[in-house]
Amino acid sequence: MSTPLAEIPQGLVEVDLHEATAIVQVDDSLYPLPAIYGAAYVLIDRCFVLLDRPAPGRVRITLASKDPAPDPEALRALVGELANELLACAFRHQLAQDNRVLVETVTMQAMAGAMGPPSLADLADFDFTDEALDDPLGIAQSWEEKHGRTLSRPGAPEGEP
Amino acid sequence: MTEAMPEAMPTPREPTPLGPPTLAPQGLDWAALRPRAGTQTLFRFRPVGDKVLVTNLEGRWLLLTRDDFAAHARGEVPPGSPLHERLATEGFLREGYRVPEAADRLRARRSFLHGGPNLHMFVVTLRCNETCAYCHASRANMDAVHTDMTPETAERAVDLVLQSTSPFVTIEFQGGEPLVNWPVVRHVVEYATAKNRERGKQLELTMVSNFSLLDDERLEWLLAHRVQLCTSIDGPEALHNAQRRLPTGDAHQKTIYWTRRINERYRQLGLDPTLYHVEALCTTTRATLPLWKEVVDTYVGLGCRSLFLRPIDPFGFAERTKRRLEYPRHEYLEYYRRAVDYMLELNAAGVEILERYAAIFLTKILRGQDPNFLDLRSPAGAGIGALAYDHDGSIYTCDEGRMLAAMGDPVFRLGHVDTARYRDIVGHPTVRALAIATNLDAQPDCTSCTYQPYCGTNAAFNYKTQGSIFGRMRDNAVCAVHKGIQDYLFEKLAEGDPKVLETFERWTTVRPREHFIQAQEAP
Repeated sequence: MSTPLAEIPQGLVEVDLHEATAIVQVDDSLYPLPAIYGAAYVLIDRCFVLLDRPAPGRVRITLASKDPAPDPEALRALVGELANELLACAFRHQLAQDNRVLVETVTMQAMAGAMGPPSLADLADFDFTDEALDDPLGIAQSWEEKHGRTLSRPGAPEGEP
Repeated sequence: MTEAMPEAMPTPREPTPLGPPTLAPQGLDWAALRPRAGTQTLFRFRPVGDKVLVTNLEGRWLLLTRDDFAAHARGEVPPGSPLHERLATEGFLREGYRVPEAADRLRARRSFLHGGPNLHMFVVTLRCNETCAYCHASRANMDAVHTDMTPETAERAVDLVLQSTSPFVTIEFQGGEPLVNWPVVRHVVEYATAKNRERGKQLELTMVSNFSLLDDERLEWLLAHRVQLCTSIDGPEALHNAQRRLPTGDAHQKTIYWTRRINERYRQLGLDPTLYHVEALCTTTRATLPLWKEVVDTYVGLGCRSLFLRPIDPFGFAERTKRRLEYPRHEYLEYYRRAVDYMLELNAAGVEILERYAAIFLTKILRGQDPNFLDLRSPAGAGIGALAYDHDGSIYTCDEGRMLAAMGDPVFRLGHVDTARYRDIVGHPTVRALAIATNLDAQPDCTSCTYQPYCGTNAAFNYKTQGSIFGRMRDNAVCAVHKGIQDYLFEKLAEGDPKVLETFERWTTVRPREHFIQAQEAP
């Protein structure tokens, strides 16, 4: 039988000792989906975790303990850790957006500093057929190639080759 | 809210009161303090004793009285006043803020960024003749010869090391006990020094050993080949022998004998003993905590000039023995304070002994330089500053990553020496993820922490203890230790005892050990 946790507003968390599960519902306007994924993922070594959407704007996280007979304290700790990790992930998600340029710049400098320039062997193995070198939008084409107009001869009237 | 970041805040129409901090200096009414952005550059603050510590983006700092801090937070410091002058000189005011100078300071603090991996840890065997209660390395029994690194694997690893973009590289022999696989240690030393004559790097070689398998012949060979020697000393004899067991029961005696002997040989070779001596570290367990004085006395008695008071890590056997060995980090910090207080007393009396954690932080705080300690930088050094090569040729981002693999989780494995190319290893997605995860500019709590310019986080520790490489700093044991040590250091700086300040200044002096740099040219 599910029972609410006393310290948490009613309807957000329910634990079922018999089934060794805890169910947490969160408002997806407070916690972005990447934060919910990140927080839930942290617990998969201790729980089987399922996400679903019981109602618009709500995400339900079901934690089924891998310990078949957890004590109430253990389930409470799982819920508490999920709640703290949700906040940490949501905050980090926001910081990552705010400081994206700074973090990317530092990471690029660190990676470039460690990797150094490619060797000839690296270049010989480079896949020049990589999709990144395709040009599906025609960005690398000249105006004339893209729009079918040809270059004018010097001194010729406009539009005449 | 306990931290103010005026640059991030618009000038408020209705100033927002600051929330109560955890360590309010007496007499400062935080609730009534109404900060006003506009005159200040970005600053973070933290109460330290009866002062308030403020740090800025480039890591400059001031300890302000509560009234001065309140005036600064309100943007009410009168131009021309001594406080205005102090704030302007240290880059805390927008007016007159010298951007090129700040950029230079920031560049100096992040000088490691372009460096590439300089520390390369070689686990030449997992076999070890000692059994440590907290063994982080998951050692193997002496008959497990299959855990010895082969000469061929060692050569492939050295080839990768010498491809590092760093002009300075250190190969550190670890284990297990590296002396158990002595032939491969010798082979790596000879192969690396010979190969390096083509590469011309500043190559250093270091061995972390319990010394029990040393003999005079091996020692003379290591000295002749300029291999630096490091060890573990867990304090007084009874404690050391209880935690680090040899079948003969004399682990402490053997380590002490050889530490003295090596230091004596350095002196005989004409090397300055203040610079050239065995480096030792102490792993702190619950049993160590009441013995802070005995630990320091043991090191001083041995003529050691430095002591690294490391807390225990949750890797290897320490995971199994934690009920017996672990402790709350506030107890560690109490132990740390007592031990370092005592070391400061000894220094005031003319005994030179430094604490390594303190020296690392103080070098950043007082000199604005980064000593490149890999877990105390942002981003951390995993992969971009260090690599670990396991006995079987597997390559990991860090030694902790290798330890986790030994516990069954190879998440930090980057490849194998037989097949990996250098650029594939350091450009591995895992390395990139760790560089992002350990960048404190995207870490909750760290972004607003006063100690951010001096600090760092350890992704492998976070992963092991909190389930993600990011971790959560508010309940993270490494963060608690880093904050606690910096609180202590800034309290001492605020007290301003001239003898303590003189000692701190000496602890920040970085003197290169040039004797240990291998010859770069062909003889």
